[in-house]
Amino acid sequence: MTLPARPLSLTVNGKAVGPIDVPDEMMMLDVLHEYLGLTGPRMGCGQGICHACTVILDEPGGPREIRTCITGAHYFAGRAIRTVEGHAERGADGRVVRLSPVQQAFIEHFAFQCGYCTPGFVTAATILVERLARQPVARADVEGVIEAALAPHICRCTGYVRYYEAVRAVVLATPGLVVG
Amino acid sequence: MRKRSLARRILVSIAVVVVACVLGALAVFLGAFENSVVDTSLEPLVTDDGHASPARPMSDDEIAALAPRGRYLAAAADCAACHTGPGGAPWAGGRAFEMPFGTLYATNISPDPTYGIGGWSRADFHRALRDGVGKGGRHLYPAMPYVSYRNLTAADVDALYAFLMTQAPMAVPNRADSFPFPYVRRFMTFWNLINLPRTVAADDRSKAPAWNRGRYLVDALGHCGECHTPRDFTMGMIRDRYLEGALIEGVDAPDITPAGLARLGFSEEGLARFLPAGLGPQGVVSFSMYDVVHHSTRYLTGDDVAAMAAYLVDGALPVATAPVPIAADVAASGRQHYVELCSACHGLAGEGIPHVAPAMATNADLRLPDARNLLVAVVDGLPARAFPGRERMQAMPAFADLLADGEIADLANYLRATWGGTAPDVTADAVSEIRRAERP
Repeated sequence: MTLPARPLSLTVNGKAVGPIDVPDEMMMLDVLHEYLGLTGPRMGCGQGICHACTVILDEPGGPREIRTCITGAHYFAGRAIRTVEGHAERGADGRVVRLSPVQQAFIEHFAFQCGYCTPGFVTAATILVERLARQPVARADVEGVIEAALAPHICRCTGYVRYYEAVRAVVLATPGLVVG
Repeated sequence: MRKRSLARRILVSIAVVVVACVLGALAVFLGAFENSVVDTSLEPLVTDDGHASPARPMSDDEIAALAPRGRYLAAAADCAACHTGPGGAPWAGGRAFEMPFGTLYATNISPDPTYGIGGWSRADFHRALRDGVGKGGRHLYPAMPYVSYRNLTAADVDALYAFLMTQAPMAVPNRADSFPFPYVRRFMTFWNLINLPRTVAADDRSKAPAWNRGRYLVDALGHCGECHTPRDFTMGMIRDRYLEGALIEGVDAPDITPAGLARLGFSEEGLARFLPAGLGPQGVVSFSMYDVVHHSTRYLTGDDVAAMAAYLVDGALPVATAPVPIAADVAASGRQHYVELCSACHGLAGEGIPHVAPAMATNADLRLPDARNLLVAVVDGLPARAFPGRERMQAMPAFADLLADGEIADLANYLRATWGGTAPDVTADAVSEIRRAERP
């Protein structure tokens, strides 16, 4: 059986991808896993609840989080996304030279245990940091915006507190994110 | 000479008419035409339904005996939806009603003597529910559905009174309304003269007892008509359009006449299952109707929901839908958005996922003449909901930022034409209007 397919082109982690023939009805997460070998975004609930599958969708209005398990691959035609594989700085040979500040903070705070939910948390925290760089937040509101950014993500091991503390450390240590 | 006397006669006639009008208005204002359906004769007479006149106070034993039935009736009358505010103390009021000229707040009906109705006599309570006049002659605003409660039996009002008097008093002050001037209340006599029926509906002998019980549950206790009936410029229910549907809080309370329910795909049995469950093949109750299920219909007995369904459906049979023609490019675009953004939960064939998302292929929302509720759901998303029997539905994401107006219109038109059998007449402008409209 052949599924009806059509060509898909998009930008993933800064590189042009495609055109590749992708079935009309395939979800983006399956394309990342099966076509592009990007297994960082995870299949958790498959129903848009746990947010382990989220990636960054870069739009003219700024980056936003999008759930790839419930969003069809062809929605991303012509769009640009970043998966967790695209956050760290890499050398000419493709090897990781330096983790992103969010990734580094998660390690330093022992933020995750099994790690299944981590790509989603990296995605949410990175979008928050990038947003605050454009629209800094008052010191009194820092905790609130972190809670709001991480709230949709489900973690079953470490219980959120270490993720939360890691993100707060990054937000407070990065110049220009907080005013007052 | 003749001319002058004619002019004078005209002037005198006008003066007489004006004076008569003023006197008439004064009489209305002072309540001369007010019509109570509450028997307040001081005799301890027994009324038709076997209850003593409300003028006699209720004994503690009588209160204790009646309270359990009152609890059930309070659920059927959905008192809690308004009188227990979101996150508020039980029966202490608080739900806000945004009116064109200010905000009203539901009042404290716990038996607190200062802030609640602890000092209300049985007769005060009867008059409030059935005449719209509170203790001390203070008129209620019709956000309190006394137009519907007017049809309650004296026995049921007694039971409600007994139930409330057994609840814990809550010392929570009432919130003042934000009406620009405080005199509106006194003019409710005029409103009542126009909008409050003078008599109480009698049983229809040509119908089965269950049908009449259903009518009582729907019209009087459930006060369904208050949301589902369009209102005229005085904000009174338009009687000859009873239950034909109305715009409320930015969404459509659907037409629930027999023809309206048939169009949505409800049979009598189907509606009797849907009302207490809050979901079914027709979809999931949303917006304020969720509160109705949560506070009221889920507590009703099987006989009572069956009676409501018998009255509401009144023998009508559900209408089968067939796809209607739609432009090929709109269908292709709509289908593409559906596959990309909706199908993971609602299914490629619109079959839905149990406990996650309702089916689209049989969804009543797509069968409504107006696409408003569908568009509001797509633009705003819907919250996760718990339903009776440990059933639940997951949150629906908002698609306002993922799709442009024209794309949402295509999606809505594809869904309506394919599964709703309704006209694919949604425009990008209509979507834009929904985006801009204020909703609570």
